[in-house]
Amino acid sequence: MSGNIELLAAVLFPFLAAFVSYLIGRANKQLRDRFVQGSVIAEMLLILWCVLSYFQNGMLELTVQDFCMQGLYFKMDGFRVLYGTIAALMWMMTGIFSREYFAHYRNRNRYYLFYLVTLGATIGVFLSGDLYTTFIFFEIMSLTSFVWVVHDEKEAAMKAGNIYLAIAIIGGMVLLMGLFLLYNATGTLRMDEIHEAVTAVMDTKRIQIYAAGACMLFGFGAKAGMFPVHIWLPMAHPVAPAPASALLSGVLTKSGVFGILIVSAEIFRHDPSWGMLVLFLGVVTMFGGALIALFSVDLKRTLACSSMSQIGFILVGTGMMELLGEENALAVRGTILHMVNHSMIKLVLFMAAGVVYMNLHALNLNEIRGFGKRKPLLKGMFLMGALSIGGVPGWSGYVSKTLLHESIVEYAHELAHHGEPTLWIHVIEWVFLFTGGMTLAYMTKLFAAVFLEENLTRQKEFDAKKKYMNRESVFAIGVPTILLVILGFTPYLTMNRLADLAQGFLYGVSPEHAVHYFSLENLKGAVISLIIGSVVYFGFIRTCLMAKNANGQKEYIEVVPNVDLWEQQLEHLSLKGLLTTAVASIAALIDHMKPMLLVVDLSIAVTGFFSMVLDHFVDSVVLFFRSTTHRSKTELHLDLIGSRVSRTLGRFLDSIVKVLNVTVLRNNPRTKSFVVTFAEREDILKKTNRMISASLSFGLLLTVLGLAFTMIYLLTSIL
Amino acid sequence: MNPAMFLAAAVLLPLAAGLLLLICSGRFKNRKNKCLLIGLVLVITAGLVLALELSGDQQFLLWNMTENLPVLFIVDNMTRVFGLVTVTAWTLGGIFAFEYMKHEENEDRYFGFYLIVMGVLICLTHAGNLITLYMFFEMMTLTSLPMVLHTMKHEAIMAGLKYLFYSVAGAFAALFGIFYFTAQGVGASFEAGGVITNLGDAYTGSSALTLAAVLLMIIGFGAKAGMFPLHGWLPTAHPVAPAPASAVLSGVITKFGVLSVIRVVFFTVGADYIRGTYVQTVWMVLSLITVFMGSMLAYKEKVLKKRMAYSTVSQVSYIMFGLSVLNTQALTGALSYVIFHSAVKNTLFLVAGAIIYKTGKTKVEELRGIGKEMPVTIWCFTLVSVTLIGIPPTSGFISKWYLATGSLESGMGALSWIGPVVLLLSAMLTAGYLLTITIKGFFPGNDYDYGSLVKKEPNLLMLVPMIVLTCIAVGFGLFPTALITFLQNAAAGIL
Repeated sequence: MSGNIELLAAVLFPFLAAFVSYLIGRANKQLRDRFVQGSVIAEMLLILWCVLSYFQNGMLELTVQDFCMQGLYFKMDGFRVLYGTIAALMWMMTGIFSREYFAHYRNRNRYYLFYLVTLGATIGVFLSGDLYTTFIFFEIMSLTSFVWVVHDEKEAAMKAGNIYLAIAIIGGMVLLMGLFLLYNATGTLRMDEIHEAVTAVMDTKRIQIYAAGACMLFGFGAKAGMFPVHIWLPMAHPVAPAPASALLSGVLTKSGVFGILIVSAEIFRHDPSWGMLVLFLGVVTMFGGALIALFSVDLKRTLACSSMSQIGFILVGTGMMELLGEENALAVRGTILHMVNHSMIKLVLFMAAGVVYMNLHALNLNEIRGFGKRKPLLKGMFLMGALSIGGVPGWSGYVSKTLLHESIVEYAHELAHHGEPTLWIHVIEWVFLFTGGMTLAYMTKLFAAVFLEENLTRQKEFDAKKKYMNRESVFAIGVPTILLVILGFTPYLTMNRLADLAQGFLYGVSPEHAVHYFSLENLKGAVISLIIGSVVYFGFIRTCLMAKNANGQKEYIEVVPNVDLWEQQLEHLSLKGLLTTAVASIAALIDHMKPMLLVVDLSIAVTGFFSMVLDHFVDSVVLFFRSTTHRSKTELHLDLIGSRVSRTLGRFLDSIVKVLNVTVLRNNPRTKSFVVTFAEREDILKKTNRMISASLSFGLLLTVLGLAFTMIYLLTSIL
Repeated sequence: MNPAMFLAAAVLLPLAAGLLLLICSGRFKNRKNKCLLIGLVLVITAGLVLALELSGDQQFLLWNMTENLPVLFIVDNMTRVFGLVTVTAWTLGGIFAFEYMKHEENEDRYFGFYLIVMGVLICLTHAGNLITLYMFFEMMTLTSLPMVLHTMKHEAIMAGLKYLFYSVAGAFAALFGIFYFTAQGVGASFEAGGVITNLGDAYTGSSALTLAAVLLMIIGFGAKAGMFPLHGWLPTAHPVAPAPASAVLSGVITKFGVLSVIRVVFFTVGADYIRGTYVQTVWMVLSLITVFMGSMLAYKEKVLKKRMAYSTVSQVSYIMFGLSVLNTQALTGALSYVIFHSAVKNTLFLVAGAIIYKTGKTKVEELRGIGKEMPVTIWCFTLVSVTLIGIPPTSGFISKWYLATGSLESGMGALSWIGPVVLLLSAMLTAGYLLTITIKGFFPGNDYDYGSLVKKEPNLLMLVPMIVLTCIAVGFGLFPTALITFLQNAAAGIL
């Protein structure tokens, strides 16, 4: 082991703390809760220690030889400084929030154990300096975070958890295949060596490198929630307890993105065909996630779909970073800043949703409607998150989205300059802006429902609830909110610095001209998105996705596109109904990916059938001979007669039993005749004897045959 | 002391103790003393084998059956691996059985044969030429048969006969090769790198017949390792035996199919002789078919012990695949998997045994909430499951890393990458059939009745073997360097 010991402390400490917390929890629950809060704060301090050390001495490194054979390699430079800090910060805030949130939960000890282990694993992923180390911690993280998803143990949670685990395992194995292929081609998994090694063999092993890249994209993408392996995300994030949802959405998805960034920046640096692939998947993820979110009537589910959509934005940035080649500063900075923004925003929003849930134990918009109407603190914090994610100028999301948008525009200019077709990139630009609009629309839907509208039945009860969260929770949600606002209001002072710090990781260089975030040109995109957003909200959500209930009050409706609904709509033939159903069908298709699952099920069934055939192959050959050429000469007598001895003995015992039945066994008389019992026993004995003798004689026959052949062989070879 | 004495003692002690138990069956009044005695025999034997393995490479001639048929014993790197795996698993399985056999009848007979098989296996491990190997291979089949037959139910007898039929059929296939090689004068001893390869042009046998003989021997000995097409006995025979017996049948005895194949391919014929021939391709394809088929059938199987048995079919063929690649990397992976799979499969069957012993449940769907009843047991189960799937940082991952990278390096064309793909597909199925049990056990659902929960954790006699094996399975994943370096040298030495 050599290098900076503080890195080891930062990775190892949560694992140790996890077991200590488990042991404490068995004795004293209050103490355990405090200990966990203390641990996450301590971890934050450890990370800050590393960060300080980074700013003083430059990059930190740590090698642990022999662990898991290949050894571990950690390092801490710009991007890792940023994301290590964010991960620790998010754990700290959710850890502080957890105490109140979980107050009435069962199995908390289990939760905290895995909560801290996952922290260690996630820090391990973000600090990893070679893909082997990344993979080890990535797998630990995938498995342990499963416990969060199923924590409630409700049916929906179990179902979501199973899918989560299945995708995690499949993703992990495909990723491993990618690592095998990469390692085989290049002989190294060290991130700082891969690029050189890949360049050296790119000409001879192009297919293998691309196969490796595709496998790794699949594996990391599965964790990031990338289309088409996103299906677990809208299911799993909402069912987890809120602090866990915040981490799942805010950090764990980013570990997948981290992997994709490494693959993009190190293996396929400035590779346009790779960029096109990531861009395409990113656009579908971005648009699909927002589309599903529009239809959701569940607070946390909407937020989860929103996460998927935002990951799509980040992937679009990654794709642009590849396409733009050397001049990719805008895309690189946009990608990194959007990751940071999304982590902080989801931290705030999911914990705010958690506050709603811990008071009402409901998440359906119709049930929780109006909960925050007269709760200015919660309302304010949620609003900051919503404005930020919506990309409203003045908030942090606007800055990163502007950078991403500008990178698309820049690429369109470049294409036009080279006289290549630009239509497709303009389509992508419009999808980007339209998705921005949809983001605004679904966030408005949430904000209006929870914080502006009146509940139809329980508003008085809601308003009477003054103590809806304690000071710790206010602190936990408040601090990231304040950070978010600071970031948004001082982009030149703060966000530019963050981008400067981290962009070296993606080989970005600061742009020649400083970007003016609030120039007219840049504001235009945001304004277009705002207009689209209000059109979608008022023209679609409020008209098509809300309907009057029996009392004439407007309610949010859940559109479940199925055959019945289609039949209904085709009967009425109203444009509004048909449009809603059609769009909902597309959303549901993207959401559940039923055709893909069908193919998986089918292939399991088919291979399962063939396995069964192979399994019985030899047995059936044996059976065939036994029923044809090697059939038993005489069939066994199956009637229960028995021999003379058994019959006599049986009758004798029967007569005794008859006497006993009248006297001793009166309450519990024996009715079965001993004649029958003996006959059965004898039958089994005979059958068994026959089987053994038949098989033994068969074995002897084989032995004799073997010996005979041997003799013949020996004789011939001697002669 | 002469190392030959260690071998003699390590064989004779369990044999004598086993025979004594069989003769005096049912006459031991004090069960505790009897168990102590058996435990002592197991531990002393293990110690003797350890001393033997550490005493350096050597060979002992017992006697000459005919002029050129010596009964020969050797000590080399292979015996170190297989011998230590055997005695470790046997000792721990024996300790587990002290408690488990309380609920079975005829335990003296069980322990008698258990000890006898141990003696036979030690002979088989150290067999120094094909004749000796074959002799003790058959003896292993016959002496382990009573463990399958133990309950004497109709099902058990049928399973036992199937076991006998497949083993005899397999051994006869192998016997052809032994006769052929002996006739060519190469059966008298093992040589690292292969006698035939070392002979070079001096070898007189025809290459077509030699290759056919090798393939027959691989398939024949492969029957013991549960390799397709002669795997049918395994899922029938293993589950009917008492749990500690199933554990050693699956965890240890299958490995002797592997050892025999190693002795044939790497010590008699030589890897160079069959590299690139149809034998290697067929062997590889058969093992990959087995890997996938076994996992798929385990995934569909509902009875816990049978699921484990199908899992063995699949996992032992990981080892076979590693051997068939014929390079150092993959061979290292295969040898390490001999150790790791043995630890894992022993644990899995012991856990299944503990569940049967404590709750009587045998089907997977009955196991809801089992983790709440026996947390330590199911934790062991979970950790070794993760190992078997091959998730880092456990030992299964290390083996798979070597198997897959070795396969990719082999230059076998399409098979070199189909191999790792099949291994990973099988790993996904492994997760499917093992982790579902963990999930059912630890996450019984929010309607689970915690009020009527009764702790059913087994006692230390059962727990300690499981925990020790789990620690082996996980611990070697964290710090495998010493072991892997040893195995790499061993693998490089015989190629």
